[in-house]
Amino acid sequence: MDYKLPSELKYTPTHEWVRVENSLIVTGISDYAQHQLGDIVYIELPELGAIFDKGNVIEEIESVKAVSEFLMPLSGEIIEVNEKLANNPELVNSSPYGDGWFVKIKISDPKELEKLLSLDDYQEVIKKDEK
Amino acid sequence: MDFVPHDKDTINEMLNTIGVKSFDELYQDIPKDLQLDKLNLPEGLSEPDILRELETLSQKNSLYSSSFLGAGCYYHYIPSLVDFVISRSEFYTSYTPYQAEVSQGILQASFEYQSIITRITQMEVANASMYDGSTALAEAVIMATYITGKKKVLLMEGIHPEYVEVVKTYCWGHDILHEIVSDDTFLSKLSDDVAAILFQSPNFFGEIADVSEMVKKIREKSPKCLIIQSMTDPTCLGILKPPGETDIDIFIAEGQSFGISPSLGGPGLGIFTAKKKYLRKMPGRLIGKTKEINGEKEGFILTLQAREQHIRREKAISNICTNQSLCSLAALIFLVSLGKTGLRELAIQNFQKATHVKQKLEDIPEFSILNKKPTYNEFLVKCPNIDDFLNQCKQADLLPPLKISNYFPEMKDIALVCVTEMNSSTDIKKFVRTALISSQSKNWRD
Amino acid sequence: MNSNIKLIFEKGNEHPIRNYIPKMDVESVEINEILPINLQRKDLPLPDIAEVEIVRHYLKLSQKNYGIDTGIYPLGSCTMKYNPKINEVIVRLPGFSRIHPLQEDKQGALELIFQLSKMLEEITGMHGFTFQPAAGAQGELTGLLIIKKYFEGHGLKKDKIIIPDSSHGTNPASAKMAGFSIIELKSNKEGEIPLDHLEFAMQEGDVAGIMLTNPNTLGLFERQITEITRIVHEKEGLCYYDGANLNPMLGICRPGDMGFDIVHLNLHKTFATPHGGGGPGSGPVGVKQELVAYLPEPCIVSKDNFFSFRDYSEKSIGRMKCFWGNFGVLVKAHAYINALGAEGLRRAGQSAVLNANYLRILLKEKYYLPYDRMCQHEFVLSDKNLPNEITTEDIAKRILDYGLHAPTIYFPLIVSGAMMIEPTETESKASLDKFVEVLIKIHEEAENNPEIVKNAPLNTLVKRLDAVLAARKPILHD
Repeated sequence: MDYKLPSELKYTPTHEWVRVENSLIVTGISDYAQHQLGDIVYIELPELGAIFDKGNVIEEIESVKAVSEFLMPLSGEIIEVNEKLANNPELVNSSPYGDGWFVKIKISDPKELEKLLSLDDYQEVIKKDEK
Repeated sequence: MDFVPHDKDTINEMLNTIGVKSFDELYQDIPKDLQLDKLNLPEGLSEPDILRELETLSQKNSLYSSSFLGAGCYYHYIPSLVDFVISRSEFYTSYTPYQAEVSQGILQASFEYQSIITRITQMEVANASMYDGSTALAEAVIMATYITGKKKVLLMEGIHPEYVEVVKTYCWGHDILHEIVSDDTFLSKLSDDVAAILFQSPNFFGEIADVSEMVKKIREKSPKCLIIQSMTDPTCLGILKPPGETDIDIFIAEGQSFGISPSLGGPGLGIFTAKKKYLRKMPGRLIGKTKEINGEKEGFILTLQAREQHIRREKAISNICTNQSLCSLAALIFLVSLGKTGLRELAIQNFQKATHVKQKLEDIPEFSILNKKPTYNEFLVKCPNIDDFLNQCKQADLLPPLKISNYFPEMKDIALVCVTEMNSSTDIKKFVRTALISSQSKNWRD
Repeated sequence: MNSNIKLIFEKGNEHPIRNYIPKMDVESVEINEILPINLQRKDLPLPDIAEVEIVRHYLKLSQKNYGIDTGIYPLGSCTMKYNPKINEVIVRLPGFSRIHPLQEDKQGALELIFQLSKMLEEITGMHGFTFQPAAGAQGELTGLLIIKKYFEGHGLKKDKIIIPDSSHGTNPASAKMAGFSIIELKSNKEGEIPLDHLEFAMQEGDVAGIMLTNPNTLGLFERQITEITRIVHEKEGLCYYDGANLNPMLGICRPGDMGFDIVHLNLHKTFATPHGGGGPGSGPVGVKQELVAYLPEPCIVSKDNFFSFRDYSEKSIGRMKCFWGNFGVLVKAHAYINALGAEGLRRAGQSAVLNANYLRILLKEKYYLPYDRMCQHEFVLSDKNLPNEITTEDIAKRILDYGLHAPTIYFPLIVSGAMMIEPTETESKASLDKFVEVLIKIHEEAENNPEIVKNAPLNTLVKRLDAVLAARKPILHD
C-alpha cells in the first residue's frame, strides 16, 4: 500500500513525524500509523508546559478497537497542543501532517535531532512492520 | 437430569463424521494418567427430586413476617412487573451484547438504565453496572488514583464496614495508601498527596450529611482532591438532594433496593456515576446511541470499549467484564414502575415510618436514639438489654435489627434499626411492644 | 423527532401512579420537619407511566433480543449452554430469595454454599473455595491476591506473572490490579506453551507464577501440562488455572491433578447459570490445601452438621465483596450439579467436545483452520482464504441474517480474523447441521455474491451500526 510520507520530515521508529520550525518542533503520527489505527475516536492530550524525556508516553490515541501510545520524539517541553483534536480526532486520519498535528515541543537537546530517521530509513521500518 | 439432546445413534453418527470410534479418541491430547474414571459425586436427580431437596434446604433458613434489619441490604416492595420483565428469557439467557443488531432489546434497556440513573442522581454519566456497592466503591478509588496520579485516599467514618474492608483489599493490591478519618479530623488530613476522600451518606448509622457544606470545605482546602460519595439505599433519592447537585465527582451506590430481592445479599447492583470529564477513566461497560453506517435508523451499541480490559489489557483501569446486567434491568423496571410520584412517596414514607418508630422507642425507659443528624430509614438505638431484645424480636416473628457490636465491638448495647414502607403499623406496634417488654424484663431481673 | 427509537421516558403522563406504595398507616410528621428543606431535591425527573404501557414497552424490547432460548449461541470461550428452567423456580423459593445476609438463622444457605464447595472441590481437585467473587475477572483478582499474599508471607519478592498470548483479556488486567507486571509468553506453532521459553522466563527468581487457560483459547489441550506446572513449581512459582474453559473437562480431568494450585470457575458458563445479558455471574476461587488460609474471610466450616465460620486467618487476603457473593447464582449452580450428578457432568463434558469437533470437521472444508487437530470445547477459524476481501465481521453479520448468533470474532489475537466457535453440549445435531449449512451458504455467497455479505446484516431490525460515531460523539443517556 502507498502511504503519504513527505521527504522533508524526520521520523521515529514508533511512527511519529517531526518538523523543525526554528527552535521548536511540530510533531504528529505518520500516514502509515493512522492507517494502522483506523478511525481515531479519541486523543488524550498532555498538559501545556509539561516536560518529558524522549520516549515518554505523552498521549493516548484510541480507535474503536485499539489503543496506541504517542511517544515523545525528542526531549523537551510542551509548548502548544492541538486543541482541535479534542473534539475532532478524525483530523489525524484526514490530515496527519496538517491539521492533525499533535503538539509543539521546545526541545532541550538539539543533538537528539540527529538520531531521527530519514524517509528512507523510515520506509525500511514500515517494510519490516508490514511483514 | 440430562440436558444433552443426543441419543446413542446420533453420537455414533457424529463420531463417525469426525473420523473416530469413541469418546476416548476425542480426548487423545489428554495424558492418560490425568484422565478420571468417575467423579465422586452422587447420581443425578430428577426435577421433582431436586426441587424437594432444595426446598428442604431453603426451609432451614428462617423467614420472618417483618424485618427491622438493613445494614446494606433492604426489604422494599418489588412490583410484580419487575419479575415479569427479567423473566423474559430473551433477556436472561442472552450474553453480553457483542452483536448489537440482534441485541437491541438489552442494549436499549441498558441505555434507559444509564439514563434513569443520571436522572435520579443528576450525575453526568452512569455506566451499565458494577458488581455491587462495595466493589463499585473500591473501583472508584482506583479510578481516582488514575485521574490524579496520587496513591492515597481518605475514608470517612460511617462507610459500611464491609465496603471499607473491600476497599482495603483493593488498595493493597494496587499499593494505594488509605486512612480512616472522622468528621473532626478529615479537613486536617487533606494534604496534597490525597487522590480522593470517600464518605457515605446516609451513612452506615443512618445519618444524612449536609453534603454541599462538606464539599465546600473540602474544595477550599484541597481543590484537586476528588470527592466520592457512596450510598447503600438509594431509594432516599426520591426526596434527598442528588449528588449531581452537590458537586460530587464520583457517586456510587448499592442498587439492591431498586427491585432486587435480598437473596442473602447477592446478586445486587453496583451503581457507578461520575462527572463527564472523567468518562474516559471510568470502569465498566457503557452503552451508547448511534446510527446505522449506511442508513438513518438509530440503534444502541457497546461503546468506548478502548477503555476496557479486552482492548487495553494490562493498561486498563479495571478488569471488569461480566457485570450485573439483569439486575440493572430490574432496577430500571422498578424505577419506571414507581415513577416520579411513587419514588418520592416511597422515600417520604421511609422517613416518616422510621421517625415514628424512633419516637416510640424514645418513649421507652432506658432506650435512647443516638443519632444527632437527620436519618433516613435507619438509626441507632441504645438498648441496654440488647440480646434479650433481639431474641424477643425473633419470638415475635420479626427479623431483629443489627447488633452493631458485630462490626464495632466497642459499640455495646446498640442496635441499628431499619424501618421501611414494608413495616405495617401492626409490625411496628409489635416491634415497639417487644422493645418495651425487653426493657421491663431487664428491670425485673435487676 | 422522527426516530425509530422510543424510549420509555417518552411515555410519561401527568397521572400520578401510587400502585406500589403501601398505604401510610402510622401517625406521621411532615417531611420538612424530618429533613431540612436545603437537603431536599427540588425536582425528580421521572415519568409516571401506566403499568400496561411499561409491560408492552419491555415485552417489545425482549422481542428484539437473541438469547440461548432463541437458538444456537456459539460464542467461543463463553459457554452459552441451555439454562434449565427448574433453577429459576428454585432460586425464587422464599427461603432463598427473601433471606437477609446478616440474619442469624441461615443454616440452609450456609449448608448450600458448603455443599457447593465440596462438589466443586471434587470436580476441580481443589481443597477449599471462596464464593465472594462476583464474576470470573474478580475471581482472577482474588486468585492473584492470594499469590501476592503467599509470597509476601514467605518474604519472597516475586512481582511478575507469566501470561500466554492466548489468554483472556481479563488476565493481564487482573494481574495489574494485584500489582504484578506481566511477562507475555508466545504460543508455538502447535498453539501451545513452548517449554523452553517457559523455563527461560522462570530463570529469574522474581516470577510468582503462571496464569493459564487449559484447554486454551484455541480450544486445544496443553499436552505438556504436567511439565508446565512442574517447571513453574520447581522455581517456587504458583500455577493459576483460568476456569473459563472448564466445560469439556467435566468428569474427564481436573485442574488440581494437572498441578494447578489455584482455579477460578465461571458458574455462569460451566454450571449453566444464565448470563442475564452480561451478568450477574459468579467466579468462585478454589485452592490447594496450603493456600486455604489465604482465602477471603469469612470462610464457612462445618461441625456436626452445624455451619459456622472459621476463626479469622491472619493470612487471609481480606474481603473481596460485601456479604456472600452472588448467592442467587450459587443456588442455580448447586441445583445444576445435583441434577446432573457424576454421570451427567461427564456426559456434558464429552458432548461439548463431540459437538465442537463435529463442527470443526464440517467447517474446515470451506474455512481455514489454522490448528488442525482434535479440539476440546471450541476451535478457531481464520479469515485466511476468504474470497473477495470478505472479512470475519462480514461473515458474523451475515450469520445474523439467517437468524442465528455469530461466534466470538477477532479473538484470540494470535489468529488473524479469528472466528472462535463453541457450540456447547446442549445443541442437537440438527442445530449444528443448520449452523454448518448457513456457514457454507455464506461462503458461497462470499464467492458469488460478495456485496450481500459485505452489507450484512440486511434482515435485522437495524443494519450495521456505526461504532466510530458512537465513540467519537458518545451519547450515553437521553
